[in-house]
Amino acid sequence: MKRLAAVVALLGLATTTAACSGGSTNTPGSGGGGGGGGGGLFTTIDVTRPGLEATAPANPYNPKGNSFVGYNAMRIAWVKNHLTDPNQATPGIAASWEIAPDNSSITLKLQPNAKWSDGQPVTADDVRMSIGIAYTQGSTAFSITPGAAGAAADVEVVDPQTLKITQDMANPSPKFARGVLDTTVLPAHVWSSVLPTDFWDKLKSARGEGGDAEKAREEVTALGEKVIAFAPPKDVSAGPFVLERVNPSEALLVKNKNFFNAANVAPAQVKFLNYTGNEQIWNYLTQGKLDQAGFTATPSDVMKRIEAASGNEVIRGYSPVAVGMAFNQSKKPYDNVHVRRGLAYLIDREQVTKVASPEGGTAAATTSGIHQKAAQAWIPETVPQLEPYKPDVAKAEEEFKKAGLAKKDGKWTLADGSAWKVSMHAPSGFSDWLAAQENIKSQLVTAGVDAEVVTTADYPLYLQELAAGKYDVGFWLMALGPAPYDIFQRLYGASNGWTNVGNKVSHSAAGKNGNWMGGSEEIEVGGEKVNPGELTGKLNSVGAEEAKPIMAQLALAANQDLPVIQLWDYVNTQFVNNNRFTGWPHDDELLRGGGNVLMSGVWIQQGLIKAKQ
Amino acid sequence: MSATLVPEAASASSTMRRNFWRGVWRVMRRKPSRMAGVLILIGFVLMAVVGPMLLPEHLPGDTNAITQPPSWEHWFGTDPQGRDVLSLVISGSRYVLLTAAVTALITVVVGTGIGLFSGFKRGRWDTVLMRVTDMKLTIPGLPLLLVLATVWQFGSPLQMGLVLGLLGWGGVARAVRSQTLSLRERGFIEAARGLGLSTTHIIGRELLPSMAPYIAMNMLISVTGAVYAQVGLFFLGVLPYESDNWGVMLNLAVFQAGAMITPSALGYLLAPLLAILLLTLGIVLVVDAMDEIFNPRLREE
Repeated sequence: MKRLAAVVALLGLATTTAACSGGSTNTPGSGGGGGGGGGGLFTTIDVTRPGLEATAPANPYNPKGNSFVGYNAMRIAWVKNHLTDPNQATPGIAASWEIAPDNSSITLKLQPNAKWSDGQPVTADDVRMSIGIAYTQGSTAFSITPGAAGAAADVEVVDPQTLKITQDMANPSPKFARGVLDTTVLPAHVWSSVLPTDFWDKLKSARGEGGDAEKAREEVTALGEKVIAFAPPKDVSAGPFVLERVNPSEALLVKNKNFFNAANVAPAQVKFLNYTGNEQIWNYLTQGKLDQAGFTATPSDVMKRIEAASGNEVIRGYSPVAVGMAFNQSKKPYDNVHVRRGLAYLIDREQVTKVASPEGGTAAATTSGIHQKAAQAWIPETVPQLEPYKPDVAKAEEEFKKAGLAKKDGKWTLADGSAWKVSMHAPSGFSDWLAAQENIKSQLVTAGVDAEVVTTADYPLYLQELAAGKYDVGFWLMALGPAPYDIFQRLYGASNGWTNVGNKVSHSAAGKNGNWMGGSEEIEVGGEKVNPGELTGKLNSVGAEEAKPIMAQLALAANQDLPVIQLWDYVNTQFVNNNRFTGWPHDDELLRGGGNVLMSGVWIQQGLIKAKQ
Repeated sequence: MSATLVPEAASASSTMRRNFWRGVWRVMRRKPSRMAGVLILIGFVLMAVVGPMLLPEHLPGDTNAITQPPSWEHWFGTDPQGRDVLSLVISGSRYVLLTAAVTALITVVVGTGIGLFSGFKRGRWDTVLMRVTDMKLTIPGLPLLLVLATVWQFGSPLQMGLVLGLLGWGGVARAVRSQTLSLRERGFIEAARGLGLSTTHIIGRELLPSMAPYIAMNMLISVTGAVYAQVGLFFLGVLPYESDNWGVMLNLAVFQAGAMITPSALGYLLAPLLAILLLTLGIVLVVDAMDEIFNPRLREE
């Protein structure tokens, strides 16, 4: 869920449009002073969060905190953007780790020379306390929710450099190690006051059952608020940089001389420029101001200008996210699979992608519930069996007729003769989704299906109303890899009625417990009845090889049943400038990281980025 | 007696009316810009009434010509859906102008009604109504609209006009009240009272006509106010999306097409701006003409 939140936040941001303001106009030069020497000033933006807040604390859990993950906030390791393996990572605070073959535990070996910016060493106790703090925030591996899959059972400090974290094998998850590695490390000598002395005892009782456990869980969750509000007197960082100052237009970080790989960190200073909307990022980029910026939805003409600016380069990589047009099947006529298929034949996805996301997306090859690149890696034999739903008006009409719809005066009406209008919803800031829906509307209207686009004020409200079943059709992020369960739970998870608690999958009726998609509990795939939610639930506990046939079955199910029409698969576009720094990675696995991670910080701390001579 | 008086009065009023229109014509001719103003306003009204009838309900888009700069084929270029920007401005004008008209009507009717009643009656009613007006005037309009937009979706131009009108009558009410207070002490009103004419007659026939030019000018000015307010709200993206609304066009031009960065989207940004500018210009010119028509001192110069 954390990963999903991150993707959602990133995409939300990438498509945010907001009123723009002047912002910072400082020109980054190559001869920046201060810091610990090296290659000058590195200018970037925090693409995960618009709007700097000068008074916010250097707290990575604070939504507005001036903690930039990869720069002045460190994680145990940096999870990679691997196509299929969720547990691959590059070293962070942990220099190396060992995952037990059955995924039951992970043993971390910390960097021997890791120090905080105030000179104190980074120890296993710091990591243990950080895990405690992660529990208060309910992360994937450190969850106290009863029955949560892939949660840790024990955290043991073996020696000052070694920790062993054991998974609760009652309900294991193949991505347990990822959850552990993707945890922020905080200094115990600064943060320890946040957790009460009896915290670990409380945690133990929270993992139990009964009234005491419930009370303990409430206490741990309540600590979460305290963690979010905590303001360290000054930034103490184990990362390559430490926060120097923030004003409304920029945040300045200087090199942390105590960082374990400081010798290979090229920039002496890092500046994060403030922005409120994409338009401002485009502006910075066309002026060549930024050394790096993460994924930002960009129209083609603007992209051309960005590419034309001196030194700019656009690196394109794999992004395990797709967007689909999702149906509320409790609303008529979307309960009828033929209507959904008819719409799939009507909508030209190439055209939609061309209009809506020409630079940041590839038209979906078909609806499989999985990104086309990941599909080739996981289920290459199944891909050719999938119906491609190429635009075909005749087939669409055939499907509509099968569904009992009728065409009167060139317009399709419902079976009972009443008017049919495809009402599509999108949050108003998401310009690419809006452009897509506007294009779909025009395609549908041309084919005689009345359609409209309706906006909702913002993304949280959109998700809330979508979950409440207020919309007929809405856009939905899906295929959130790399873990197979994460990919398919977007189609056959809680939003479609299946909840997975304690490795037991149960189904709620449409309109209950967040089931807004309202699909049937059992669907027929190739003449065989399957329960897609149960299949998806299985993905949470099986290994990669066992997962493949299940994924093939689910891809076929999604392809025939069409709970969503997959529209485009996102492309991770990264913007870099070669005038001041070089050495940008082009490797897919390094171009994208865990939630809220600013990958440029990771590249810098690995010593990949070099100052241009 | 009344039998002889009536025809005389009728012929006198028809002569006055003739003189009035002759005066109007003279005033209009004196500055050609005033004629231009009238033509602009007529143009906009035609655009809003007839324009959308000439265009298809859903404007066709050409995905091979997305966000094109102005050309002979598309005078203001195309939008990010490949639709003609000029057609979008025309089909969007109905919502904008209808809202503006409703706003102006409500502003004037409510503002004048309250102002007249308050100024003529005076006393307790005046105190109560003016305090209400004061309170209304202290509420800042745009922030209130932003808050209202979160709870009320202004789906139709009538709703939008109603809200803007109900937010905008304060100034007119205050001004009309002060005019009424000053006029009601004048000799001709006293004479009318002395003649035993009814209150309805005094207000309808004596007071209102002397204030008509003032009210008419306020009405036109509130049209521009309503256009700015609604376009502003749509631009900020707080109102439901209507692809051909001028404010949405501005929003999409800046935030979707990147008009501040790429010149190809400039036409998309400029077209609705020009429409607003032209409409304002037309109103300013007509108000200038009205000022002279109704103001005897200016007429004599």
